[in-house]
Amino acid sequence: MANKRVVVVGGGLAGLAATMKLCEQGTPVDLISLTPVKRSHSVCAQGGINSCNDQTRQLGDSEWKHFDDTVYGGDFLQHQAPVKEMAFWAPKVIDLMDRLGVTFNRTQEGFLDRRRFGGTLYKRTAFAGATTGQQLLYALDEQVRRWESQGMVRKFEFWDFLSPILDDSGRCVGAVAQDMVSMQIRSFPADSVIVASGGCGLIYGRSTMSVFCNGSVASRCMNAGAKYANAEFIQVHPTAIPGSDKLRLMSESARGEGGRVWVPRTPQDSRPPRSIPESERYYFLEERYPEYGNLVPRDIATREIFNICVNEGLSVESGRMCVYLDLTHIERKELDRKLGGILEIYEKFQGVDPRDVPMKIFPAVHYSMGGLWVGYNKSSDGGLAAADPTNQMTNIPGLYAIGECDYQYHGANRLGANSLLSCIFSGLFTGPCVSSYMNSQSGSAAELPAELFQGAVAAEEKRHAGLLSNQGGENPYLIHQELGDVMTRAATVVRDNTQLDQAYEKVHDLHNRAMSSSLTDTGAWTNQNVIFTKSLQDMFPIAKAILKGARMRDECRGAHYKPEFEMPSLKSEDPTARRKEASEWCDAFEEKNRKFLKSSIASLEGMHPEITYEDVDTGSIPPRPRLYGLVGADAIEEEWKNRTEKQAVATA
Amino acid sequence: MISPETNDSTEHHPEKVNVRILRQDGPGQPSYWERHQVPYEENMNVISVLQRIAAQSATADGRDVSPVSWDCGCLEEVCGSCTMVINGQVRQSCSALVDRLLEEEPSEIELKPMSKFPVIRDLMVDRSRLFRGLERVKAWVPVDSYYDMGAGPRQARSDQEEAYPLSQCMSCGCCLEACPQYQKVEIYRRPGETDEQFEARKNEAYDEAFLGAAPISQAVLFNSHPTGKNAKDERMEALTGPGGIQACGNAQNCVAVCPKEIPLTKSIGKAGRAATVHSIKKLFDR
Amino acid sequence: MSQSPTDFFTKHEFLIRRLHSLSGLIPVGAYMTVHLLVNSSLLNGPGAFQKNVNQIHSLGSALPLVEWLFIFLPIIFHAVIGIWIIRTGKSNHDNYRYVANWRYTLQRWTGVIAVLFIFFHVFHLHGWFHTDWWLKNVAEPFGMAQFRPYNAASTLAIALQGIVWPVFYFVGIVSCVFHFANGVWTMGITWGLWISPEAQKKASLVCAAGGVFLTVVGLSALFAAMSTDAQAAREIEDKMYEAAVETGELVDNPHKRSEEEIEAETEAEDELDDTTRRALEAAASN
Repeated sequence: MANKRVVVVGGGLAGLAATMKLCEQGTPVDLISLTPVKRSHSVCAQGGINSCNDQTRQLGDSEWKHFDDTVYGGDFLQHQAPVKEMAFWAPKVIDLMDRLGVTFNRTQEGFLDRRRFGGTLYKRTAFAGATTGQQLLYALDEQVRRWESQGMVRKFEFWDFLSPILDDSGRCVGAVAQDMVSMQIRSFPADSVIVASGGCGLIYGRSTMSVFCNGSVASRCMNAGAKYANAEFIQVHPTAIPGSDKLRLMSESARGEGGRVWVPRTPQDSRPPRSIPESERYYFLEERYPEYGNLVPRDIATREIFNICVNEGLSVESGRMCVYLDLTHIERKELDRKLGGILEIYEKFQGVDPRDVPMKIFPAVHYSMGGLWVGYNKSSDGGLAAADPTNQMTNIPGLYAIGECDYQYHGANRLGANSLLSCIFSGLFTGPCVSSYMNSQSGSAAELPAELFQGAVAAEEKRHAGLLSNQGGENPYLIHQELGDVMTRAATVVRDNTQLDQAYEKVHDLHNRAMSSSLTDTGAWTNQNVIFTKSLQDMFPIAKAILKGARMRDECRGAHYKPEFEMPSLKSEDPTARRKEASEWCDAFEEKNRKFLKSSIASLEGMHPEITYEDVDTGSIPPRPRLYGLVGADAIEEEWKNRTEKQAVATA
Repeated sequence: MISPETNDSTEHHPEKVNVRILRQDGPGQPSYWERHQVPYEENMNVISVLQRIAAQSATADGRDVSPVSWDCGCLEEVCGSCTMVINGQVRQSCSALVDRLLEEEPSEIELKPMSKFPVIRDLMVDRSRLFRGLERVKAWVPVDSYYDMGAGPRQARSDQEEAYPLSQCMSCGCCLEACPQYQKVEIYRRPGETDEQFEARKNEAYDEAFLGAAPISQAVLFNSHPTGKNAKDERMEALTGPGGIQACGNAQNCVAVCPKEIPLTKSIGKAGRAATVHSIKKLFDR
Repeated sequence: MSQSPTDFFTKHEFLIRRLHSLSGLIPVGAYMTVHLLVNSSLLNGPGAFQKNVNQIHSLGSALPLVEWLFIFLPIIFHAVIGIWIIRTGKSNHDNYRYVANWRYTLQRWTGVIAVLFIFFHVFHLHGWFHTDWWLKNVAEPFGMAQFRPYNAASTLAIALQGIVWPVFYFVGIVSCVFHFANGVWTMGITWGLWISPEAQKKASLVCAAGGVFLTVVGLSALFAAMSTDAQAAREIEDKMYEAAVETGELVDNPHKRSEEEIEAETEAEDELDDTTRRALEAAASN
């Protein structure tokens, strides 16, 4: 493709996968990243990557079941075509990563070893110790370095993406970015821009995310007119190590390898955990969800842990909230081989060996299911049409979004070990789509009038100069702390409308204050102060979209939980009455889906997001109650089964 | 190891933590020490100390200063960003816990940028030479394509267990900082030079300088991969070329300071053996 | 295109360093081992020692060629490249106090000591060149070129009088042996003989044992030389000389004998103060 270039923003799994795929097709790439791409947040992913495989297949698994688990786990909020495509690509993605030299754990015979993860009953997850994300990222980083050595990739590391450049027709024809070292602002003409900038955990102050996951790229695209979908769906991971600078993830794989979550039945039992007899331990997940046990989906595990600590007062410690995550019954050697990486993290930061003493963990903000709205073209078999330019394209032509910063794959809750898959898949899959798009456009961005690019640069230079000279007196670091506190209180595990309203007001107030930040550093060399302030200001549109989306969604779905609108549990003991209750429950469930089984779409109007709703395509797998075999909920499942059978007969 | 339950040591903690930072405003500029003070908190690490310093932007004696620049990412010791010299030893600032540091040196914590890489500003350095090293040794598996071609080669568990520790290298640069044979290469930009020209001149200088442990170990990793070994000869050329493995002085600091406990000296031994075989073969084969 | 010396070194660094490494073992280290063993034969008396020396000098006029080709030039090569290598490194044992790092630093210090030691040792006993002009105008006026191969033990004993030279030889021998033993250990890593940490540990024990052995051998030779009675030795040597010349085992060579000096030195000995004499006697009786 002569003269055509692509800008990729972000060098995590998705960005690198797209980059190498484009290079393979002959398109040169400018890769812009806040950090050397090898240090991207994907390195923090620990547990593994899912696919149906030869072993699970013989136990009745299939790509379709992986698809079903993902959609069920996501509470049916995903458009199903992209999810189906992803599930069917999954084995191929893992094969490719295997070929690229990822050091996946092996069975004795030399095949890929697998473990179980949350929200499924099959051992689908391939893993490389407990640093799978790191290993996958490095493999892609290596391939991109290979292309770089051939001159196909130019890396712009320590560069901050500032805005997409749109031409008169509204097409994206490049990007403006700033060198975080020299502070130079320049334009990158491009025939297509792919945004792969990850999540927005920094909005919550402390989360399991890296410091560059501030959501500013998505926000800056929103500012240029891109739509942001399902913002309110923020995954709170059930198991993390609390810390003053960061909440460090303790992978789901700990439970996948047999880790058990429990609290002493006596509140704040002061005995050493290992001396508390089995009978005095409350394995609450196992008792409440006998089928899935400790591997219920994350939203459920998180709520249960939260509930145990907050409502039942069974937190292990009195001063702070935490529960035990216990691996001490597993052999040391086995633990080292499969979980070494995360156990070392715990040991280093907590000073306790988790092989000997149960870990103390608590939920933490972890992943944004929502993200930039992107389109797709459904194929006749219910998947995606290959190399179709609309796949993964935002509402701005030529601007694509992939990886965690798109909204497409995880609905209302992401299953563990699906994020690595969605990132690599969307990166690989998008390459040919972008090529098709560029082929369909006449001319190249490089030939466009220089004024267009100069104008875009000038606008960013103006913003930059304005920030340096601003004397509003506000300290951006303290505003960020406040923002984190408000968001963590109002928009994590449990949500309440009054609180959300108050939070929105408070955040708007902080937004205004952030706009009048004073900088302590007004220099023109490696000014981290101004870069941080810019990203802080750009956190607000997404923070507001999260709050507003949550406020407007009066239901419980996946990670979004409002007790006020919770579906009631069945109370009656009498079988007939119970059946009736179940029937009412199912009616309410159908009603709730009619109302809220929709993506929320935020678009920015000035300082506020406007929210609209879009129907979700559930054509392949009809929505069903999401109960995961909860004890006492069998009547609902039975009633629902009868209903669907009747419907099937009626339609036949 | 002190468990978090044992709080009896808290009373010995100071109210304030004194920090001495070696600052530098830009490349080629003089460096200077600056003292800062932050309130002590439990379970603090150097990152949270630096975050407090950034927020207060004033020295211990109350003088307003620009925030200290530093590099960080994941804060859980897997990204390799936040390497610096803390109390004289190179390490990750995220896993450098204040309590431990005060045990080493009760009066203050001393922070310096790495000395083997050009300082960009304050505690931030330019480690592009490290990544250039990975390019020099072709640290990748040379696959044909990214199309679906089936699974990769089957590998014994023991091979995976040899390879996995090496593939955990996060390019943090600790091994290079502590290596007495690895010297700083700093190229200043000439007036009027374009980005590309400057980059090319930098790479030229890097390419003659010592690779250091991390890239050597990566070369060993890929030489041992069933497909990766197809580019073994090219890697050995790099390892026996200018700045190659011969510059190693066997001080073995690399393995001692590696935060991921990667068996770097084992890799160096392996690379040494491969270099012996490679050069003898070359001698007789040509 | 003309190449500057640095270019040449950089380009051929691998080969040069490997030759340097090799030369440390063969011939330099091997020679040193033989040398120390031969010297230690002095423990069996001047006759045994003289027999060994005679054997070496039976090479006759080919000896200087052998000396220069297999001993002096390799040592000079090893020394010159060694000093160049030292200049490429920067010791940092202050901050990284690991055993291997100390050994890295010691290897460099002992290397420098060895260079100085060998230079003066050869000058002191051998004289470097055996031309009349050199000996008369340079070596002898400085009190150098003291050793006479056909009067091996006696001239040696005289050369080691006083306190300065014994200390000089003590430091020199210990440094050379450490440098050699540690050098063999690093060489094994460099060439890829011992790779895993366990193997390296075992190898370091073997090298340490070898080093201790050579130190004992070397120092015992030194003490043997110091405690030799020059006069008595002289008589034995003269007898052996005459016999050897008669059988054609040795060629007569005035440079290798010390007719006049022996008297001169005996006189000098009389002038020694009592303390030194007592010390010498004490050493001799041991």
